[in-house]
Amino acid sequence: MMQPIVNVENLSHIYMQGTPLEHRALDQVSIQVAEGECLAIIGHTGSGKSTLIQHFNGLIRPQSGTVIINGMDVSSPKIDIRTLRRQVGLVFQNPEDQLFEKLVGDDVAYGPFRMGLPLEEVRRRVQWAMDLVGLSFQEMKDRPTFALSGGQKRKVALAGVLSLQPKVLVLDEPTAGLDPRSRLELLDRIRRLNREEKLTVIFVSHNMEEVAKLADRVYVMANGQSVCEGTPRQIFGNQELLRQHHIGTPESVDILYRLHEQGYSIDPSAFLPEETAMEILKLLNR
Amino acid sequence: MSAEFELTRNITIGQYLPTASVVHRLDPRFKLGAFVILILAIAICDTYVGNLFALAICIWMFQISKIPLHYGISGIKPAIPFIIILAIMQLLFYGEVVNGGTVYLKYGFITITSESVRLVIVSAMRFVEVIFLSSVLTLSTSTTELTHGMERLLGPLEKVKFPVHAFALIITIAVRFVPTFAMEMEKMMKAQASRGADFGTGEWWRIIQRTKDMFPIIIPLFNVALSRAEDLILAMEARCYTPGASRTRYTQYKAVGKDYVALIASIVISAVMLAIPW
Repeated sequence: MMQPIVNVENLSHIYMQGTPLEHRALDQVSIQVAEGECLAIIGHTGSGKSTLIQHFNGLIRPQSGTVIINGMDVSSPKIDIRTLRRQVGLVFQNPEDQLFEKLVGDDVAYGPFRMGLPLEEVRRRVQWAMDLVGLSFQEMKDRPTFALSGGQKRKVALAGVLSLQPKVLVLDEPTAGLDPRSRLELLDRIRRLNREEKLTVIFVSHNMEEVAKLADRVYVMANGQSVCEGTPRQIFGNQELLRQHHIGTPESVDILYRLHEQGYSIDPSAFLPEETAMEILKLLNR
Repeated sequence: MSAEFELTRNITIGQYLPTASVVHRLDPRFKLGAFVILILAIAICDTYVGNLFALAICIWMFQISKIPLHYGISGIKPAIPFIIILAIMQLLFYGEVVNGGTVYLKYGFITITSESVRLVIVSAMRFVEVIFLSSVLTLSTSTTELTHGMERLLGPLEKVKFPVHAFALIITIAVRFVPTFAMEMEKMMKAQASRGADFGTGEWWRIIQRTKDMFPIIIPLFNVALSRAEDLILAMEARCYTPGASRTRYTQYKAVGKDYVALIASIVISAVMLAIPW
């Protein structure tokens, strides 16, 4: 593997340290992400996923252990934190809450303006970012933000981060609370950002269908520790581990396992819906 | 540096420290009553020794409620600028107002007497004592207990048509949402910092710029607050909440021996504090 763009080693984090309410959120976590990769982080609520990803752009500085992003050591006070945050775009859960400008275009332009870019460049970036998330620049830039649907607002928020032109895009449950159609569309956009724009994508998700569809690699966390990592095929093939950590499986995997448990001779290592369909077809044709 | 966004850590209102001490287990009505008496006594007491005694009592309260003293001290830190400004004002302008005592210094309109010096020192001590006491009270009493206690103590006012229940409800809701909004604000600050926002890094004299820097947090926070308020209304109406309707209570308080002891102790301590003549 070449030099990873995100390199976390032995990272630990304790909230409210030194008070009776202290809570160990991360415990000796190590994780490497290669450039251009699409990594999913999964785990039960409270497993430390959100704490981990906030280290990627320096919102939380490492208490112990190291975080190196594209050669920048996040624990060093000398690095320019703003340069770091331009390289790692972090999209929080329910990012539609963070819109504050009256017009869509202005909100997307907030980041580039803060960078002090000339107007022409800001305009170019806003157009580029809105195109990427599937919002027509001409049509949408002068719409008021409050009049948008939930799915559209989320796209605007995503565009607001993309307009910084980050190298790494980090998303915390990007599709939570969206209707099925917006969900599929947003997933498709994220996939294209990864495959076509060559962005490194790291996302947290509770939806295993999403993970199966999008991720090159899956990283499983529990109780602030990394439990295991592997391709979706390896992870979803390990039913015992998933049950132990209360992590669901995609329905396509679930069906195969249930059939397998009922005594049908079926290969449960498939995990894409198409593969599952093929397996079931094979079974029916026998 | 790593704590730059940990807002919730700095909020002590509504923070409850469950150490299960005897102070924690007092009946909230009696506890609140006892604390009110002590605070009133401190407000009246204006002697050096009386205040030293009060300070000792406050520190002893931390002991018996098993709360580390640094909680109280961290509560004083934000008040230090006020205490200093107050002290300077009193030192400069109170010499003429307070009668008696020997004159230490007279220069133009500034008069410093032994009485005004005493006032300055006593005021600062009162500040510290009141902060200590209220820290012990809030750290040893959950907000639910606190509002229940307050509602009962204000109960008699219902006779003069004072909306005691509504008042208690407003306070409950306000206190309940302080940590929630601190968390929302923390999240908002992080989200906006992720797209290039800076807070409080500009020069202090560029007030307009610094105010503008806060818009990306304040505006979304207002939105969130309003939508939460709507959710709360719906949730309350769904459970048939009717303003002004008479209701029974889920928690019943029954005073026992230690509650009376606490109340009497507070009265005795106050009496001693006020009786000390120096």
